[in-house]
Amino acid sequence: MKATKTTNRRNFLLAAGLGGAGVAVAVATGTKAVGGKKAAAAAGQPSGYHASEHILKYYKTTEV
Amino acid sequence: MSAQPAVAPVALQRMVPPEEAARADFYALLASLFVGPPAQELIAHLAAARPIEGERALARAWLGLTQASAAMDSDAAAIEYDELFAGVGKARVSIFAGYYTGAPARDHPRIRIQAALAGLGLVRDPRATEPEDHLAGLFEVMRVLVAGVPGRPAASLADQKRFFEEHVGPGATKFFAALAVFPQANYYRHAAGVGAAFMALESESFLLV
Repeated sequence: MKATKTTNRRNFLLAAGLGGAGVAVAVATGTKAVGGKKAAAAAGQPSGYHASEHILKYYKTTEV
Repeated sequence: MSAQPAVAPVALQRMVPPEEAARADFYALLASLFVGPPAQELIAHLAAARPIEGERALARAWLGLTQASAAMDSDAAAIEYDELFAGVGKARVSIFAGYYTGAPARDHPRIRIQAALAGLGLVRDPRATEPEDHLAGLFEVMRVLVAGVPGRPAASLADQKRFFEEHVGPGATKFFAALAVFPQANYYRHAAGVGAAFMALESESFLLV
C-alpha cells in the first residue's frame, strides 16, 4: 500500500513536469537567500535556514 | 612519525530523485523571486529557460513567466517589487503568511513557525532580518526540507507535508491569488501564476503521502 502511494505520488509529480531541468537551470545562478542579501540560495547551497548544531551532532552519530 | 589512519570516515549523501530535486528548485526559485528584487542573472536565466512539459497549469504559468522575463530587466523588476511589497508605509500586497491566515496577538503564526522549526532541527540564519512568516523564508524552509543541506538529509514526506499544510500552503495560496489580480502587478503577476500552480501541485501531491 505504501509503495503504491509512493509510486502514485512520483508518477503524479513526473506527469506534472517536475523532473525536467528547466527550473534547475533557471535557479542555478543569480539568486539571493533569505539569510543575507549576498548569500546564494541556489539548490544545494546553505541558505537562510540550516540545521542546528545539536542536530548535526545527532546525524554524525548515524553515519556508517 | 605519526601513523596515518587506514580508513577515513565516509559520510553518505542520499540521492534526491529528479522530481524531488525539481520541487526543491521551485521552492528556491520562489524564495529568490520574493525575498527581494530579482537579480539580472536570474531574470536572464528565466528568459532562457526551457518550457515545462506536463501538467497544463504549471506549464502555462511557466511559459508566461519565462516570456515576461524576456521583456523584463532588474531595474524595472526592483521598482515593481518595491511598489508591491515594500513601499512607504503599508505594503500593497502583504508578503507575510500571517496576514492571510489570521495573526492573533497570542499564538501568532511566527511563534508556531519558530516551534515547528525547532522541532525540525532548523534554526534561522542570524543574518535574517525578516519575520519567520515571510513567505520567502517559508519557501526556503521547504527547500531545505525537500532537498536537505550539507550535513542534513531531506526531511520525511510526513514532516514536509505537516510543515507545508500548517505554515506554507494556506497563506501562500491566498498570497498568490491576491497578487495575481492586483492591478499594479505586471511581472509579479506571472511569478504569482507559477507560485499558485506549484502550490496547487504540492497540495495535491501531499494527498498521496
